[in-house]
Amino acid sequence: MKKFDAIELSVLWSRLISIVDEAGTTLQRTAFSSVTRESADFAIVLMNTSGESMAQSSVSVPSFLGVLPFLVKALIKDYYPLNTWNDGDVVITNDPWLCAGHKPDIGIVSPIFKNNKLIGFIGCIAHSPDIGGTLWGANAKDFYEEGLYIPPVKLYSSGIKNENIFTIIETNVRASFQTIGDILAQVAANDQGIRSLNCMMNENGLLEIDTLGRQIIDASEKAMRAAIKSAPNGTYKAAYRGDGDGRKEPVIFKCAITIKEDEIFVDYTGSSSEHSLAINAVMNYVFAYTAYPIKCVFSPEVPNNEGSFRPIHVYAPEGSVLNAKKPSPLGARNVTGNLLHGPIMKALSQAVPSKVQADCGAAVWVMVLSGKREDGSEFVEYLFLAGGYGGRKGLHGEPTLCYPTNVANVPIEVFENDAPVLVMEKSLIKGSGGLGKFKGGEGQRFIYKNISKSPIQISNVSEKINNQAYGLFGGKPGRKGYLFIRMANGKKKITPPKGHDKLMPGEALVMELPGGGGYGKIV
Amino acid sequence: MKLGIDIGGTFTDIVLLDESNSFLYFGKSLTTYPDPTLGIINGVKELFQQYGRRLIEVNTLVHGTTLITNAVIERKGAKTALLTTQGFEDVLEIGREMRYDIYDIFITMPKPLVAKKLRKGLRERINKNGEILVKLNELEAEKIIKQLDKEGVKSVAVCLLHSYANTDHEKKIGKLITKKFPHLNYSLSSEIMPEIREYERASATVMNAYVQPLADQYLKKLKVKLNILGFEGIIHIMNSAGRLTTIEGARKTPIQLLESGPAGGTMAGVYFGKLINKRNLLTFDMGGTTAKASIIRNLQPEITNHFEAAREKRFKKGSGLPVRIPVIDMIEIGAGGGSIAYLNALGLLQVGPESASSTPGPACYNRGGENPTVTDADLILGYLNEDYFLGGTMKLRKDLAIEAIKKKIAQPMNISVEQAAWGIHRIVNENMANAARVHIIEKGLDPRFFSMLAFGGAGPLHAFNVASLMNAPQLIIPSGAGVLSALGFLLSPIAIEEISSYVCNINKMNWNKLNTMINMMKEKGFTFLKKAGIQKKEGVVHITSDMRYSGQGHEITIDIPLKKLSEKSVIEIEQIFVKEYKLRFGRSIDNIPIESVTWRVLVSGPSPELIPRQVVLAKHKKALKGTRKVYFNNSYRDTPVYNRYALEGNKKINGPCIIEEFESTIVVGENSKVMMDTFKNIIIDLI
Repeated sequence: MKKFDAIELSVLWSRLISIVDEAGTTLQRTAFSSVTRESADFAIVLMNTSGESMAQSSVSVPSFLGVLPFLVKALIKDYYPLNTWNDGDVVITNDPWLCAGHKPDIGIVSPIFKNNKLIGFIGCIAHSPDIGGTLWGANAKDFYEEGLYIPPVKLYSSGIKNENIFTIIETNVRASFQTIGDILAQVAANDQGIRSLNCMMNENGLLEIDTLGRQIIDASEKAMRAAIKSAPNGTYKAAYRGDGDGRKEPVIFKCAITIKEDEIFVDYTGSSSEHSLAINAVMNYVFAYTAYPIKCVFSPEVPNNEGSFRPIHVYAPEGSVLNAKKPSPLGARNVTGNLLHGPIMKALSQAVPSKVQADCGAAVWVMVLSGKREDGSEFVEYLFLAGGYGGRKGLHGEPTLCYPTNVANVPIEVFENDAPVLVMEKSLIKGSGGLGKFKGGEGQRFIYKNISKSPIQISNVSEKINNQAYGLFGGKPGRKGYLFIRMANGKKKITPPKGHDKLMPGEALVMELPGGGGYGKIV
Repeated sequence: MKLGIDIGGTFTDIVLLDESNSFLYFGKSLTTYPDPTLGIINGVKELFQQYGRRLIEVNTLVHGTTLITNAVIERKGAKTALLTTQGFEDVLEIGREMRYDIYDIFITMPKPLVAKKLRKGLRERINKNGEILVKLNELEAEKIIKQLDKEGVKSVAVCLLHSYANTDHEKKIGKLITKKFPHLNYSLSSEIMPEIREYERASATVMNAYVQPLADQYLKKLKVKLNILGFEGIIHIMNSAGRLTTIEGARKTPIQLLESGPAGGTMAGVYFGKLINKRNLLTFDMGGTTAKASIIRNLQPEITNHFEAAREKRFKKGSGLPVRIPVIDMIEIGAGGGSIAYLNALGLLQVGPESASSTPGPACYNRGGENPTVTDADLILGYLNEDYFLGGTMKLRKDLAIEAIKKKIAQPMNISVEQAAWGIHRIVNENMANAARVHIIEKGLDPRFFSMLAFGGAGPLHAFNVASLMNAPQLIIPSGAGVLSALGFLLSPIAIEEISSYVCNINKMNWNKLNTMINMMKEKGFTFLKKAGIQKKEGVVHITSDMRYSGQGHEITIDIPLKKLSEKSVIEIEQIFVKEYKLRFGRSIDNIPIESVTWRVLVSGPSPELIPRQVVLAKHKKALKGTRKVYFNNSYRDTPVYNRYALEGNKKINGPCIIEEFESTIVVGENSKVMMDTFKNIIIDLI
């Protein structure tokens, strides 16, 4: 079989990344969901006929690392064997165990045909605006409360639309035109990718992509292994405490990272069992948020594909908060995934101290509001708020920076136009970053008031109310977070750190986001 | 006569147009630091002496400069303060809370132009409808400004919440400063960028305030110096959207000038498109460090309102300070003659974005550069002539180019030097073609329908290959490619864009309110034109609105019919929106209301029409200079080399060939036909 020389490989490889980026651009430009559009909460992956990832769109959030290949492999194995695919087929599913761990993330997979032969797959996963069920958050009692479940089914068969599936989705979600619009945008993104790939194959006289894929994957694997090998062998352990419900049921993460030559093993044995709140994570989501900080530390420059993840092995006991089973509620699993960089960085700080950072004021707080405006129309508004960034060797932590996920805040003026609220303050909390040679970044205070005549339903998903972002090597921890309601008479009222509540007219929600940890002792 | 002057990082370019006989004259001088007016004076004197013309004959001078951009990048603006609504002093520092690079733990975010201690809150509040909830206390404002003045602040930015909906409080502060602190500069967000989104508005306003004192001094000085030389005409300034403004306009909003040079290049593209009858073009400008590309659609440049200045990482979107001003939409790629080739962690050949710049420069410059660059590869491949670089004024060392490529690329990869050089050339071209393709697709357009217009020092060398990769039908290398921005200045209309926010479902519009708003913006525009010496009847009005499907966060800009708007206009506006949406995204969405966000009224003077009869150049005799070995398709071939200045009009030659000119070299590959038109443009048909 033809082997591409190093220059051809370079040229074709960057072209493949460009192809998935072209598809990503199409999705971003047409999506309704603001997280898809503005925060790039999506991924597009080109895969070979084994479902192995060859190229992933360059703008993407960490939660989708490795997810689409996992999905396609499962589709081929358990749902649609290779010989059952036709040109023009499109498969849809939001199965959390096959996709990204909660129902709003919808995966769409299209086969790629060349000269009537299946040569690969392109898949796209994105956060949908709504998937039905209860108001999004940590409150759902079980999986079934969290909205519509779509098992892997063909949305299109040989190019023909399956109207029934569209009808089922349309009748089960809020603002259905947005959710349907985004699904169509995902299909269009895959189509764009297929068109661009076809063009590139014709220009270069390629009839298949498996040969190219193998070379790309092997080269990446080699680079990843070399990067891991540069770190000292050993087992590095860390324990980390998350708020859990913020009251009586915390979440404990235990992780043991073993670096053995050119492989890395992460074992979460000893971590908490499934939680009563909807903050349980599934295995492939945990893999993504484990691989992400490891990649940041060891090989940020190696492109994302199958090879870069082959040397990384992750284990979490079944039934734990990191490997939840049906019918555990999963909605706000992002908190759990987002906290994993904490124990991982702590463990890796023993192996590669200059490459890690102190803990961030994470996870990002996701605060949802819903209710009625004065004119009677309904609104649902998602707020994302970041705490301080952890200190690093040679650099202070930045204030209010989202990590490990990456979403933009909602501008105050947009927020006030969308919901009947008045923002009272958005400011940095002085001194909230942990002290150290390199200080942790400052957290922020954000206060808004309900100025309507009716209560606003709120869904809080905050973190680090009970715990602080740790410092490293003598650096101090960051200030913890605070969350409460200030009543019209000025008195404080408790609101659940995670869960639903009501904000009455005249009441204000006060959010104080945690600061990042410091790095190194003050000299 | 009209004179165009563009100050770039290295050169100051000058173009003189004699309207009486449509003759064009080109000149160049070195940009001088720290006072760029010296370079201008040198260049102008030289050009006028050379051709025996006098500066008093010039009635209009159009100017663009990188001064403002550099001041922001180098943080050399004035000591600036920010006045904002109390409780929101940190919005400028908090930004959008998002990282621009998700894998870099050691990321740094751009520092705000105003430090915390100079960001002051005022007790006042306006709501989303523009209603005043807390009245501004002018005494308190005065006290704070007084204190800032004492601390040495030279310029004050004012950005209050929802000031796009009610300008009252900001205007009061403006009046207060004019009256009590006349020595201070100030910028009001409701004048600089009256659009929703407080961080972006504050960022633009602060940047404007930051560079205003500098721009003010510079423009004054320029005028005085030109007057001394005998210039008595008017001065216009190029802005980032390819439009001209007055000196007063530029002094009021100097951030308009951020991208004036590149905008000139695109506007020249518009002109060449007209000249050769191509309505859609991709302009491709490749220099020493970067390549830039922009789209011209229907003879109009694509304008965007998203721009960032002073990026932390030059080619990373989101790493700069946002400035929502209209700019010509352009992508910038880390690919130029100085881009360094290296092997990455995977052993693969990569090119850029690191650049050897001009010092130490490519290895072949013999200035101590040891890294192999694109220019070194181009020299080895025979695309460049070691004895005719910059017209022979600089000798290139091929031996040093070979040594660098051999040591760092060919030997580690175990391939020949030629193969390595070809690899570098191919990869840098691929990078540019990939970026340009994504840029075109972002607009919902098809890359195959765009002819390419190439310029810049390295543009003509790489354009043929890039055009082939993009399946472009035709490639144009314009005459005056070395001074194209300055030429573009002479081809841009005087114009002003007035902006207002009105967020509303188009079925629920208050049409009276809207019409009044539009009329006010129009009148403002006409007043501006009048000051620039243009009568109302010559003015052209163009109204656009940024609209979206309700619920979307991204708007598209659509044309609005020029008549009194009412409920009856809804259907027409809907049709225009759907048509544009379909064009951009290939589909439309039924049953979702459309809402307007921002309204823009552009009032322009007439577009200068220009058909150059002759480009005045020194005489050259022989077109065919000889042949040399040039690398095409895996082997060297004897290839004819032509002198561009001696080529005759309307004669066809076949590729492959090399055409040399002073500032660049045109490389023409196989399967192509080359023609020089009567305007001395080189037109290449790719077959």
